[in-house]
Amino acid sequence: MSTANAGLAKKLGYTNVRAFLAGEPAWSEEGYPVYASNQFVGKGNIVLIDLRKGDAPVKGRIPRSVQIHYDELENRMDDIPRNAPVVVYSDNMEEAQDAYEDLKDEGFKTVAMVKGNFQGWVASGAEVESGPIFSNEIRWVRKLGKGEVSVAEFRQAIMGELPDTFVVDARTKDEVAELGIFTNTVNIPLDEIPKRMNELPKDKRIFVHCSTGARADLAYRELIGNGFDVKFLLLDISDAECDCPIIIPAKQG
Amino acid sequence: MKIRSFINFIPVALMLALIMSGCAQQQGATTASQEAKPAVAEKKDPFVLKGPVVGRSNKAKTISITVGSGAAAKTMMVRFDDQTEGIEYAKKGEAAIIRWEQRGEDKFATVIKPKLAKLPEGVTEINVDELYQLLEDQVPMTLVDARPELRYNQGHLPTAVSIPVPKLKEKKAEVLPQDKDKLLVFYCGGYT
Repeated sequence: MSTANAGLAKKLGYTNVRAFLAGEPAWSEEGYPVYASNQFVGKGNIVLIDLRKGDAPVKGRIPRSVQIHYDELENRMDDIPRNAPVVVYSDNMEEAQDAYEDLKDEGFKTVAMVKGNFQGWVASGAEVESGPIFSNEIRWVRKLGKGEVSVAEFRQAIMGELPDTFVVDARTKDEVAELGIFTNTVNIPLDEIPKRMNELPKDKRIFVHCSTGARADLAYRELIGNGFDVKFLLLDISDAECDCPIIIPAKQG
Repeated sequence: MKIRSFINFIPVALMLALIMSGCAQQQGATTASQEAKPAVAEKKDPFVLKGPVVGRSNKAKTISITVGSGAAAKTMMVRFDDQTEGIEYAKKGEAAIIRWEQRGEDKFATVIKPKLAKLPEGVTEINVDELYQLLEDQVPMTLVDARPELRYNQGHLPTAVSIPVPKLKEKKAEVLPQDKDKLLVFYCGGYT
């Protein structure tokens, strides 16, 4: 993408054009600062952390923020949903930077800071909330991505409550033999999907699952490209949230 | 907790940055017209797939790759086995060139190579540390984030402005600085 833009700029007569090919991932990998747009801080589906201490947030904070003083961050790390984009701010640049790096080291993929920290937010004229804080609980719900089926709907399908739905288990035969298979589900390993498409109904919705969602995603892409009405489950099926009945195969020999 | 000044350079990360794939490997629809130009006017080989890798499953032993661009873009899945060469280049989000063959009902990858970013003529690459130094020294430049706007909103480099590729194509110089000799740096999502 940067090469496309750089080439275009060159054609438009720009003389001093360079491309940072390694891009944003290389930059943030180094621990160099990355900033979220104020619009995203205000409206995005994020966990927003106010790193300031004491009653600073009571006097004024960014709406929707949760106060976790920097010294507490390590203890609260497990309360932050792993897939959530996290944005941090403070009134102290070093603390915000350290928290940013700590979160990245901890494995959070999308971490950013507020431009100019809390002071920058205030200076930008964006909304500031004040007054008592009643809860410091982190509430964040992942929105379903493209092609994803909700756990609730998936569960209905394997319970046989969605008549026009066909459920595919894309795990290997060995995994199914060892761990069992959901009810109302057919096992077609991911690698066999291209040659077994004729076993799939074109007039029904297809839900695909595997063990974590990675293979189901790939199966989804394969099937959607071939004209199927398909969705996939992005969930570790050992997660209690699934609560789906499993048919355990009879032990042999 | 680890405390580290962000001015420190970390050799490992530096190495990573050097071996990391280029942005062009993530290109989608937007580079179609670029690609169509003479350099890539080579003959289409039906047994070669080029594009960003969507994913690789080691359990199913398959690789999914997006080929073509724009409305013609589609995901292809091929199998691999122990004989497949260069399987390490089939990495999610990075562009690869996969040679495959038909075996019975299955498509098998035989050789996989990384697809390297080609810099347009007259454009030079800048690495992470050099860019950091330019920003640190406040060298006058326009830093452009070429990724989709949502990615920019989630997190972008200091001083960067958002100009996704389709926007630049549409608005051209209107969205770029007036001074055509000013340093202009573009970046995108590298790898995912």
